[in-house]
Amino acid sequence: MHDADAINLATLPPRQLKEFLTNTVRPDDGFIPAYIFSHPVIHQLEMEKIFMTQWLFLAHESELPKVGDFVTRDLGGHSVIISRGQDNQVRIFLNMCRHRGMRLCRDDRGNEGAFHCPYHGFTYSNLGLLTGVPFQRDIYGDGFDKQNFGLIQAKVEIWAGLIFGTWSANPPSVKEFLGPMAWYLDLVVNRAEMEVTGPPQRWVVNASWKLGADNFVHDSYHTMYTHASIAKLGMVPAADYSKQGYQIDCGQGHGLNFGTPTPDFIFPQNLMDEYRSRLTSEQFSALSTMKNMIGTVFPNLSFLISATTFKGSRISNTTLRTWIPKGPGQVEVLAWVLTERNATPEWKEASLQSSMFTFSPSGIFEQDDMENFIDITANSRGALPLRDNIAFAYLAGLGRQPVEQFPWPGTAYDSKFLEHNARSFYRAWLKAVTSGGE
Amino acid sequence: MERLLLQYEVEQWLYREAEYLDHLDFQSWLALMAQDVVYQMPICMNVADTRSAQDYSRETFIFNDDRNTLQMRVDRLNTDFAWAESPPSRTRRLVTNVRLVEVEPEITVLCNVLIYRSRGADIEADLISGERKDVLRREGDSLKLVRRWFLIDQTTINTRNFAIFV
Repeated sequence: MHDADAINLATLPPRQLKEFLTNTVRPDDGFIPAYIFSHPVIHQLEMEKIFMTQWLFLAHESELPKVGDFVTRDLGGHSVIISRGQDNQVRIFLNMCRHRGMRLCRDDRGNEGAFHCPYHGFTYSNLGLLTGVPFQRDIYGDGFDKQNFGLIQAKVEIWAGLIFGTWSANPPSVKEFLGPMAWYLDLVVNRAEMEVTGPPQRWVVNASWKLGADNFVHDSYHTMYTHASIAKLGMVPAADYSKQGYQIDCGQGHGLNFGTPTPDFIFPQNLMDEYRSRLTSEQFSALSTMKNMIGTVFPNLSFLISATTFKGSRISNTTLRTWIPKGPGQVEVLAWVLTERNATPEWKEASLQSSMFTFSPSGIFEQDDMENFIDITANSRGALPLRDNIAFAYLAGLGRQPVEQFPWPGTAYDSKFLEHNARSFYRAWLKAVTSGGE
Repeated sequence: MERLLLQYEVEQWLYREAEYLDHLDFQSWLALMAQDVVYQMPICMNVADTRSAQDYSRETFIFNDDRNTLQMRVDRLNTDFAWAESPPSRTRRLVTNVRLVEVEPEITVLCNVLIYRSRGADIEADLISGERKDVLRREGDSLKLVRRWFLIDQTTINTRNFAIFV
C-alpha cells in the first residue's frame, strides 16, 4: 500500500481547485482544513476573490479632519492615498504615477494640496487630477491630454465615520454590505461622536489574517485559558468572565459576541444624553447592558469594546483593527483606539492607556493571542495537512437552536463559548473564493 | 574628572540594567525603577516634513507605563500563563554611544540600543534598534530610572510582540 501523494494545488485547473475547496472546507460539518491558513495558492485566491472585491476598512474620518489631509494605507495589496481634497470630498487614489508607475507618496500621513512624482515631476492635485507635466509642450507637443491621466481611484464610502474602500466596480452600498451588523457597529463607532486617539499601531507577524478575524468573530472560549493571566492579575473577576452573553450571526460572514449583563455602565457616565440622542432606545438599552463586545466585519475588520479594572477603576476601551494579508501566512495588523470626542481628557487618557496595556504589540492580552495565531499558521504549512486532509474542529454549538424572539438584529445564540460564527465566517469565505470564473 | 566618573557610573548602571533583563531577573530590574517612573515607547511614522529628526507620534504608544503597570507586566510573566514568553526569548541588549546630556538636578542620558531577540527554535532572530532618552535620579547610594523614552527605528514593528522590555 502506498501513501497518498499530497495534492498539488498550484497545478490544479480552476474547476478542480474549486471542487477541492468545496470538498475540504466544510463549515456545515464544523471542519476547516489546515492548509487554507498558509498555502500560497489560497493566498493568491483570497487576494483576487476577497480583497479585490469586498469593502475594506481603511481609515477613520477623524484621521482626515482638514482639507488636504491624507493617510496612506493598503487596499487589496495596493498602496493607496486616502485624501480629503480641496472640495472636502474623501477620495482613494492608487499611490502610483500614471506616467511610469512610480510611488507618488512615501509618507504615512500629512497635508498636501498636490502630490509630486519624484521621478519626472508629474503633479496631481488632491482631487486626483493631473495638473502639471514638466515641459509638457516641448516634450509631448499636443499629443498629451492631461485629462486622460488622472490618478486611478477606488470606490469610497463613509459610514458612521468609517472610511471603506473597494476595487469592485459594482459594490453594494456599505449599509447593504453590513446588514444587521450596522446596528451593532453603531454601538462601537457611532454611540457618540467618536475620534481616533492617534495614528494606528502597525506590526507584522507570521500568521494568517484569517486567524485574527476568526478569533474576533466568535472565540470567547479561548479567553479562559489563553488569557488566564489576566484574571490572575485581578483585571477581570474570574477566568470564565467572558462566557455569559450572546453569539450573534449577522450574515455574510459578519458576527460578534455580546457580553452581558454588566455590573455597571462601562462608558463615560456624563455622556448619557449624547448616547440617548444618537441611538435608538433598543440600541441604548443594549449599550446599558453591555459588559464587552467583540466582532468581525467580513473579511478583515475587527472591533472590540473591552472593560477591565485598570489602576483601581473600571474603564472601557474601544479598538478597531484590520488584518491585512501580506503574503501566505503573514499579516500586518493596524490597530486604532477610539474614544468619545466629548469625554473628559482624564477618561480619554485612562481609556487609551488601558487599551495599550491590553491590546497592542505590548498588550498583555494581545501578545498571547499572537502566539496562538503564529503557531497555528506554522503547523498549517507543509505537505502533511494536504496529504492527510488535517482539519480543525469548529463543532461547538452545531445544531443548537437560536434564541427565539431575540429583540435585536441578527441570529443570536445563548452563550459566547460557541463556534457558530466561525462556521458562518468560513461559509462566507468559501463562497467568496469559489465565486466566478465559470 | 567628576564628569568622567559620572559617565562611568551611568554606563555601569545601563549595563547592569541590560544584564538584569537579559538574565530575566525582573525583580532586580524593577528595583532600579523610581516610584514615579514614566516608561514610554511611541510609534514612529514616515513623514517628509520633519527633515531633522525622526518623527514619532505624540498620541500612540507601544509602552506608556508607570511603576504600577511595569509591576503588573512582571507579575504576569511570573504566572504560568504568560504564553508570549513561555519559554522566554533569548535576548541580548547592546547598549552603546552613551551621552550625558544633563547632569543636574537629574541626569539625562542618551544611548543607542540594539536588542537581539530569538524565540524558540526560530533561526530568524528579531533585531530591535532604537535610541533611549533616560532620566536618572540619585536616591541614596543608587541611581533610579525616572523616565525612559525609547524611540524605535521602525514604523512597522516586525517582532511578534513586546512581551520583553526595552
